[in-house]
Amino acid sequence: KPAFTDQAVQALLYKMTGIDLHKVFRPVKKELKPPQYKLMTEAQLQEATRKAIEEAKEKLAMPPVLDERKPIDDVLAEDKFLEGTETAKYVFTDLTYSTPHRERFIVVREPNGVLRKATWEERDRMIQIFFPKEGRRVIPPVLFKDEHLGNVFQQDRHEDLLNMCIAQFEPDSPDYIRVHHRTYDDIDKHAKYDLLRSTRHFGGMVWYLVNRKRTDGLLIDMINRDLLDDATSLITLYHMLHPECQSAKEAKEGKLQGVDLIKVFVKTESQREGYIQLALQAYEEAMATSTAS
Amino acid sequence: GSRLLKGYRGGHVVIRFALGGCANRPFFRIVAAHNKRARDGKYLEQLGCLDPLPNAHGEKVAGLNLERLRYWLGCGAQLSRPAEKLLGLAGFLPLHPMTVTGAERLRQRRRREEQAGTAPEEGPSTEP
Repeated sequence: KPAFTDQAVQALLYKMTGIDLHKVFRPVKKELKPPQYKLMTEAQLQEATRKAIEEAKEKLAMPPVLDERKPIDDVLAEDKFLEGTETAKYVFTDLTYSTPHRERFIVVREPNGVLRKATWEERDRMIQIFFPKEGRRVIPPVLFKDEHLGNVFQQDRHEDLLNMCIAQFEPDSPDYIRVHHRTYDDIDKHAKYDLLRSTRHFGGMVWYLVNRKRTDGLLIDMINRDLLDDATSLITLYHMLHPECQSAKEAKEGKLQGVDLIKVFVKTESQREGYIQLALQAYEEAMATSTAS
Repeated sequence: GSRLLKGYRGGHVVIRFALGGCANRPFFRIVAAHNKRARDGKYLEQLGCLDPLPNAHGEKVAGLNLERLRYWLGCGAQLSRPAEKLLGLAGFLPLHPMTVTGAERLRQRRRREEQAGTAPEEGPSTEP
């Protein structure tokens, strides 16, 4: 079964993300400087655009999608006679600079005498206390609780929320996965796909939707914006991940391309057939009128 | 003479706690220093820290640089008793016998207090 990190999957997701230079390099809040103007020839302008595209590629590198981490409960020692001596637990962290954070020893001595390995939340907190990382807080902000996510979604700030989430949590922590899934669900419900279109979160969102077979809204959005290539790559990805579905078999037999692929997919797999047929008709009429005129 | 570049006759390296912090707010640094130095004076290297007051999650946070600790122990440093007890609790060294003895003594004292508490109550209730 293809994974998120396969070359073919990554290529498809990268193509669908698109590169809108005006959105990637949009003005970020920085300290105030007067604008700089440069005088360039045509060749120099093309050179500058090429370099900008390469920098944009680095900015659009997709954050990893991992399974949820399994909780740690490993007891190293049990000393029952220590019960009652202490009132609070001791958390010991190994501060050796050269060990990677995943392999660091963090143990907890409970008041009842049990010496156990620390849970993932305790580990993250201790590592942030002793080896602080920029943009990460010791106690996760209240923003990431479910009650407050609704406010963020109403303000259309999904991208900022996801950037903050990447800075705060590890990719395999349950909080990271929960916030991301909640964001993707909200975007799917209100069809706000364009918010993430030229950002590094688009690939993750497409992966989530394709795995749960909820691609209809995204397909309609792409056809409405005349992005037929993206629609075909979305359906190719769907077939790669679900090879046993009927449209995949038909596509492989007939080796269909472009609009025919979309039509076969719509007939067999989608729930909102009517909407997609309408969108396709509108697109074809627009193509016909533009080629005629 | 200069108090910075001090040479000692005899004397050895110890790994002990140096107290810092403010009034009613202690904070210990686990430190490798010469035996004759002041408790909070110039040390050779800081090997960790211990916060004796529990934090918001009810934990006493301690950090230990185990690699450098092993280096100084290999160089022949000695440990102070509280440092030995802390490392015993951490699991780096075996549990200190005084920790066990202290736990036993505490239990015995509590048992004696309980018996002393119940005996005078039974006394006044049986008397009248």
